[in-house]
Amino acid sequence: MSHPRTSGLAALAAAAGLASALAVPGAALAQTTYGVALLSDYSGPYADIMPMLGKSREAVLDWWNAEVGAKLGVKLNYKNFDTRYDAAQTASLWPGIKSEMKPIVVLGLGGPDVAALGQRLPDDGVPLFMSTAGYGYAWKPDSWIINPRPTYAHEHAAAFKWLKAQRGGSQPLKVGIISSEASPAYVDIARGIERYAKDNPTEIQIVETVFTEVQPTDLTTQVRRLVRGGVEVITIQTNTAAVVATKRALQALNSKVPVITSSHNGLPASGKAAGGLNQMEGDYEAYGMGIASEEDTPARRFYEKLKADYKLAAPWNVLTLMGMSQGLYTVRVVEHAIKKHGAQNLTGAKVRETLYAEPVTTEETFGTLPTLKFAKEAPFPIEGLKVNVATIKGGNYVTAATNVDTPTVNKW
Amino acid sequence: MDPAGVFAVRYAQDRALVRTRKQWLALALFLGALAVLPMVVGPRLIAVANIMLITGIVVVGLQICTGYAGQVNLGQAAFMGVGAYTAAVLAEKTGLSFLLTIPLAGVAAAGFGFVFGLSAARIKGFYLALTTIAAQFIFHFAVLNLPGSWLGGSNGATVPPATLFGYRITSDTSLYYLILISAAIMVSGAFGIVRSRFGRAFVAVRDDDVAAGIMGINVVATKATAFLVGAFYAGVGGALWAYMLRFVAVDQFTLFNSVFFIAMIIVGGMGSVVGALIGVFVIRAIQELITTLGPELAANFPFLGGDIVFASMNVFLGGVIALFLIVEPKGLMHRWNIVKSGYRLWPFPY
Repeated sequence: MSHPRTSGLAALAAAAGLASALAVPGAALAQTTYGVALLSDYSGPYADIMPMLGKSREAVLDWWNAEVGAKLGVKLNYKNFDTRYDAAQTASLWPGIKSEMKPIVVLGLGGPDVAALGQRLPDDGVPLFMSTAGYGYAWKPDSWIINPRPTYAHEHAAAFKWLKAQRGGSQPLKVGIISSEASPAYVDIARGIERYAKDNPTEIQIVETVFTEVQPTDLTTQVRRLVRGGVEVITIQTNTAAVVATKRALQALNSKVPVITSSHNGLPASGKAAGGLNQMEGDYEAYGMGIASEEDTPARRFYEKLKADYKLAAPWNVLTLMGMSQGLYTVRVVEHAIKKHGAQNLTGAKVRETLYAEPVTTEETFGTLPTLKFAKEAPFPIEGLKVNVATIKGGNYVTAATNVDTPTVNKW
Repeated sequence: MDPAGVFAVRYAQDRALVRTRKQWLALALFLGALAVLPMVVGPRLIAVANIMLITGIVVVGLQICTGYAGQVNLGQAAFMGVGAYTAAVLAEKTGLSFLLTIPLAGVAAAGFGFVFGLSAARIKGFYLALTTIAAQFIFHFAVLNLPGSWLGGSNGATVPPATLFGYRITSDTSLYYLILISAAIMVSGAFGIVRSRFGRAFVAVRDDDVAAGIMGINVVATKATAFLVGAFYAGVGGALWAYMLRFVAVDQFTLFNSVFFIAMIIVGGMGSVVGALIGVFVIRAIQELITTLGPELAANFPFLGGDIVFASMNVFLGGVIALFLIVEPKGLMHRWNIVKSGYRLWPFPY
């Protein structure tokens, strides 16, 4: 008597199982998970910018897991680790991250991560992907630390070339540098530009490199010297405080010399600190990354998608774009590695090899980055580099130039 | 104070650091626990222990200079940096073994510290603090502005791994044993120094330098020696740091680090070698706890937002340090000594 009932239950269970499998096609695909460690600074000097940068890279990973990884049978499990922007903290965290997550890639934040892990990563076989431009001191072959952008010196060398073309004439562009010795990174940027000037005397001429306090309040004396020297553009790649002090000095001297900044101290941030975007009228920012202007671009459309579908709670600005670009080129390299090596047994070494083997196109990163073609000679792309330039025109933040070629800058 | 019923009947007993069998047993258990630590804990805790031990060496040096000799020193991170760069340059350019580079790093830092010790002969208090801050800036500007081929300038310096008979000391566990042995030697040395003629001179100068001078102590030499010894410890710590990271840069040794070292001896207790170690342990443990808890809280309570969680954690760290200073300004060692005395005198109140 019980036999027909058992058969009925078995048939029902089989039907339910089949129905479930048909209703959820993705479920049939086994999913392999890999760890991605996110080094963050929510409690150190960059705590104010971290929410924007951090949330945007997390949103990119969520998007990739849902829309790309699911089809490939891979999920990237990510976790934030607060390094306080401190090499000691990163060094103490790393062994635990390695054993706990077994990451195939790490997303870094800045110099302390590079200092703490630079010598370890080759042994551990995990590449570290940064979001910032590169530095001269990290310009070493066969690196496991990767920057999607060339050095800050490269980026501004491209901008100088563009500015010279805009000005016309064959005379070198007279450049003033405002920097600080508070951080070796700032000194490195200045040295890189000086090296470019030395090797290209027909392109630019350095009027003076001014080293000031890290947060200067009054630069009138120094800027007066630059103006008297006939400076045509002042490059500042330290912070917004230096930009504001320089702008105040230029206004006091009734000078219209433009200032050119980088991404981390860009025009919107500096304008906000200076009392309004109109304060930066005619100034520039230049970097090898998309511009977070109000124009309709693929990067902007992707941001809107992340905001609508993946709960990205960060405003549209350069920091959000920086996090997006870091997340995007990371997941694209992982994606290439999966396609090349298969979803199973992916390792950090395979991800790194794929990075060198296959370029990441600008379409793949939704225009947040130019096409990236890496070579083992440097930790950043050294060929086909492009830089975008933004400016303030009529009080609006607009793109002034896109895809400006980066000139050759020799190692310093 | 010895426990009731324990009397020293020989001079050797009277001057012994470890005075009872129970103390020997406790010490042996503690050292045994440290020796087997890598076998029972994960790599994360080994890395934390490495940082704690290195910081411990540096802070014990600061304790000798500031806690025992009373010389305010806000340049300990710079002295550590001098040691780190010395080890890096010697290892990279001369290929010397770490067995030589580590003590030589201490000697170089001691020389740098001695210069500031001489200035301590004429000034004290806030003025001395400012002078030692100058050590930070001199170190910083010297590294950045000396020819790049010397110290690497803004590029920093890469350090080849420490090797012993062809074995590379690069894993966390092997580094742990190197650092542990170094720390054991340095801490034993510190106990010896503070109990010696020099240690008594340090305390005399700290308590009243005029009276110490009248008593026949060479105050100038004592102050300079305090800086020399403190900086030597920092230099050794710096060298170990260099071998651990295998890369040194000037921004790894900042004034902020020096201030934190001071906070560690305040929390642990001024004028106590063990207090310095406890201060390091407590502060680093809180930092590590916060670093571990932060991501977990952010992941489990996403409505709070990562930024709020992490910022709150930082405030918590500051709050804990402030609480220590309010509740026990003489440091944890003072509290421990009260508890210990109470236990030894029990049931008598005095």
